[in-house]
Amino acid sequence: MRHARIDRWSRLDSPVHRLHPVAKVLAALGMLVAVATMTKPVLHLVAVYFAMLGVCVLAARLPVVRMLTGAAVVLPFACAIGVVSILSGDPNRAIMLLVRSYLSSLTALLLVASTPLSELLGGLDRLGAPAFLLQVMQFLYRYLMVLREEASAMRDAAASRAGSVRILEFKKAAGAAGVLFARAHTRASAIHRAMVARGFDGRMPTFRPTPLLLSDAIFAAAAVCAVVAARLALK
Amino acid sequence: MHIPDGFLSARVWVPLDLAAAPAVAWLGRRAQRDFDHHRIPLMGVMGAFIFAAQMINFPVGNGTSGHLVGGALLSFTLGPAAASIVMTAILAIQALIFQDGGLLALGANVFNMAIAGVLAGYLPYLLLKGRKYGIFLGGVLSLLVSAILALVELALSGVPMPRAVLTVSVALFVVSAVVEGAITVAVVGALEKIQPGFLRRPAANGGSARIALALAASVLACAGVFVASQHPDGLERFAQKTGIWSNAKSVVHSPLADYQMAGGHWIGRSIAGLLGIGIVYLVCRVATRALSQRPGEGS
Repeated sequence: MRHARIDRWSRLDSPVHRLHPVAKVLAALGMLVAVATMTKPVLHLVAVYFAMLGVCVLAARLPVVRMLTGAAVVLPFACAIGVVSILSGDPNRAIMLLVRSYLSSLTALLLVASTPLSELLGGLDRLGAPAFLLQVMQFLYRYLMVLREEASAMRDAAASRAGSVRILEFKKAAGAAGVLFARAHTRASAIHRAMVARGFDGRMPTFRPTPLLLSDAIFAAAAVCAVVAARLALK
Repeated sequence: MHIPDGFLSARVWVPLDLAAAPAVAWLGRRAQRDFDHHRIPLMGVMGAFIFAAQMINFPVGNGTSGHLVGGALLSFTLGPAAASIVMTAILAIQALIFQDGGLLALGANVFNMAIAGVLAGYLPYLLLKGRKYGIFLGGVLSLLVSAILALVELALSGVPMPRAVLTVSVALFVVSAVVEGAITVAVVGALEKIQPGFLRRPAANGGSARIALALAASVLACAGVFVASQHPDGLERFAQKTGIWSNAKSVVHSPLADYQMAGGHWIGRSIAGLLGIGIVYLVCRVATRALSQRPGEGS
């Protein structure tokens, strides 16, 4: 399960994991913008960016191969559009699409694999993202697995009663979705009742603020400077 | 339909991030004003429900199956503003955890699916007072509008779209839109049998701004389809035309446009990109301050 794996990775301990989420978000944004604005395939530059991400992956003690394959989820779509680009006589664009989408995906994966989501959301909160949205995201993430398990339990139950349900009839599938909706709704009410019982008054406690250290600021500045310097040096 | 990073050019993703940030802040405030506070867990759990419901396969014949996308269903059950927030949260989680859709492209994806898609899905429901074909049309439109907006954005970014590719993708979009419509009707039917209270009957005095926005989205999408079908062999020309149009517009709106249009020099483009991020950040910050700082007062 992809998100369970990322969740586990994000709770490891390493110098990268210990960095402040705000610093990591800023560094990642610097990289994303630099990558998104590349237009010519400059091999050295791509190699340098790739190496920078690689160093971070190693420093974060994340499994290299699984990170590299994990970031490859964008490749099927990029390849499909790349083939169209080549067919319409623009191989440069095809290469750039692949490079840009892969590097961006690796950057994003590195960010979430080295930062627990609650801390990442706390960082986004510090950066001024709407708190309401972040709270909804946190609930969503919390109950993602719970409801998926409920759905697969329902599927197993249906299978044990009716034989193969690989393909439920349309109406039955709709019924299953409806039941799942009703259960999710009930669960949400139960959660709310439990929250009220624990003193919830309509305001979520804010994300626990952690101090932004000098080392974090230096990391963010250094990362952005390195990205820009690489662009300056390698044309 | 989730656009990854690396596909959109800066003149597409920067303005869309700029537009999406205050829109989400405004919708968040609206969603909070509409409901009492038990909606926060409800909205999160409903987002998780959409993920889980996508495990349920709906057979559509020929051995293939579709699944619920859910924008329209959410807008019927939670109301359009809350549905937009839930869809935004879904898209953000997908971009972060599943690398499904890019982070810089999040504004574009939010605009396509969480804002335009949800509003386009809600509009027929509102206008047809929740009748069955309104529900069907809502499902169809929510998907079609999002897909066509994504297509237009890719074309504006210069992604080549020869006629054959365009025809196939539009055909696929239409089929999946009809499937989404049918699934939405079926699920709404099931919900009404289980517990009728789940659906929010469209209010008679539905906000006129919402209607206007939804109308604009639908018109935009229809115009896109129209232009594409008028010049089936010339989407490049269409992109060129609209590209020129958007350039002209961005000259008016943005001092960064010079850099982008100068085209050749990468420093200019990088600066434009970084400035873009800066502006997105500032707008985010200001809009959040202005719009969503008083959640406690209303409730």
